[in-house]
Amino acid sequence: MTPTAWVLRAVLLLLPCAALALALPERPHPLVIAVVVLCSAWWAWSPDHLAGMVTLATVIAWWTVHDVVDWRILVVSVLLVGAHLLATVLSYGPDVMAVDRHLAVVWVRRGLLTLVPLPITWVALRGLDADQAPSWVWIAAALTVVVMVVATLRLTQPVDE
Amino acid sequence: MKAWRPTPSLVRACLITLVGLAGGVVAGLDVMVVLAAPFVLLAVTGLVGRPRHGPVIRTQIDHHRLHEGQGASSRLVVDDLAGVEHVTRVAAPAPHVATRPAHGAVGALVDRDLPVLEFSPRRWGRRVIGAERVVLTSAWGGWRWGPVDMPEHGLSVLPQMAPYDSRAEVPQPDGLVGRHRSRRLGSGTEFEGIRQFAAGDRLKRINWPVSLRTGDLHVVTTRAEQDAGVWLVVDGLRDIGVSGGIDGASSSLDLTVRAAAALAEHHIRTGDRVGLLVLASDPVRVRLGTGARHLQRLHGTLARVRTDMRSAAPERLDLGSTAGSVVHVLSPMLFTPLVTATASLQRQGASVVVIDTLGEREPGPDRLALSALAARMQKIERDDRLQQLAALGCPVVPWRGPGTLDTVLHQLARRAQVPKVRAR
Repeated sequence: MTPTAWVLRAVLLLLPCAALALALPERPHPLVIAVVVLCSAWWAWSPDHLAGMVTLATVIAWWTVHDVVDWRILVVSVLLVGAHLLATVLSYGPDVMAVDRHLAVVWVRRGLLTLVPLPITWVALRGLDADQAPSWVWIAAALTVVVMVVATLRLTQPVDE
Repeated sequence: MKAWRPTPSLVRACLITLVGLAGGVVAGLDVMVVLAAPFVLLAVTGLVGRPRHGPVIRTQIDHHRLHEGQGASSRLVVDDLAGVEHVTRVAAPAPHVATRPAHGAVGALVDRDLPVLEFSPRRWGRRVIGAERVVLTSAWGGWRWGPVDMPEHGLSVLPQMAPYDSRAEVPQPDGLVGRHRSRRLGSGTEFEGIRQFAAGDRLKRINWPVSLRTGDLHVVTTRAEQDAGVWLVVDGLRDIGVSGGIDGASSSLDLTVRAAAALAEHHIRTGDRVGLLVLASDPVRVRLGTGARHLQRLHGTLARVRTDMRSAAPERLDLGSTAGSVVHVLSPMLFTPLVTATASLQRQGASVVVIDTLGEREPGPDRLALSALAARMQKIERDDRLQQLAALGCPVVPWRGPGTLDTVLHQLARRAQVPKVRAR
């Protein structure tokens, strides 16, 4: 494994842990900490593994359950997106393959583009009063979700040539 | 795997997007919406970027015939790159083949250039390169084609032409033309002497100073320049030691084949006719010949030398007529029948030189180990055989590269001028 790959994998290990550590001084349950650390390590070792999904889901679930909508949620989101993109870049080849500099630049740009909706959503949710919003907003959103579920199910099916 | 399949990255982004939006809309979990929002773009662009056609992939190798240490590039040919963003190639490791990048894994964006793998065989022989796996990835890392296993390519690796040169003349040149000084008089450039003019002499050969001084016409005589027949006998019966390729230690067969290649190249360059006899389970004999094409044939034959534990040493070396030829026997001389056959050849009048290709072998750490004892006993027996050969007038020299044969060929050339009786 190249030195760059070691560094990137170490960063991949640390990002979800840092996203959980932002909760300090409130301490998450030891089980949550154990799951995040172990699955992050596994994810860093094998960027295509399901452990990545478990790590992200655990961190998102913890912050959702504690309903923290302050500035920390923005940082957590950036860390999680960073971990996801890092795992994506590392999954392009085996661990002995050097990370292509041009590919890394492409994904840095995409990462910045991806973060654009984040502050908008955060500001909108903090300024929107759910009780006073018209009911059609929620119906339209629910329909959108259903359509996306169906579309995703169809599109993610492998198509044999 | 012949299908575009979603990558784990896309699946992750899609699941977080769906769960986040569902949690936000259905359960009113604002935090989940904020955390899932960046993944929406990743999921949508990844899903939309699915290529519509299945590409056909193949690889091309630049060269199929190389010398040790030379390199060949393996290029990827993809018929349809629409929707493909990135290509990854991972070469399977092959013995005695170095790759660049070092571990044989390379990836690149398609809009820059398709990645190229470079192979360099480090040992002569038949090598297999190009077995690799190729993965194509769509834009935004959403879809993946492969890994596709690519077929391997056969590569004929010729022995490295080790630097070899010799200023010694071949003892008994007997051909028509060439660079070696003959014992016969002829129209060469090597000065032989001055004698009185005789009918038939060419006028331009008249030496006017001597003619004026003596009052009679005198002409300069020169020696003819002739080529020689050189036979290379290659012992491919056993391979002693471990080969590390051109960068590492040489086995006895490495030394043998590379020395034979160097000698063939040298003698062909000097205009001699060179023949080859490979002693193996399936002996190969290449008749005397000259020229670049013949050299290629010799190198190709040497590249196909294989050892086989079932092969036995021959009782006699069948080279046809060896009168006037020089025979180089390249061998570690581990078999008594081969020593006997070499001695027989020497008695038949051929100028035989044994080139010892056992090389320097490091003794094991334990001198009393069974294998070390066996190796020492074998070495003692071998040295005894070589001494007996030398006593018969057959010089034995270890292969040392340039100049290895100079001294013995000078001695053989002097000996060739002495009348002798040949045993039948």
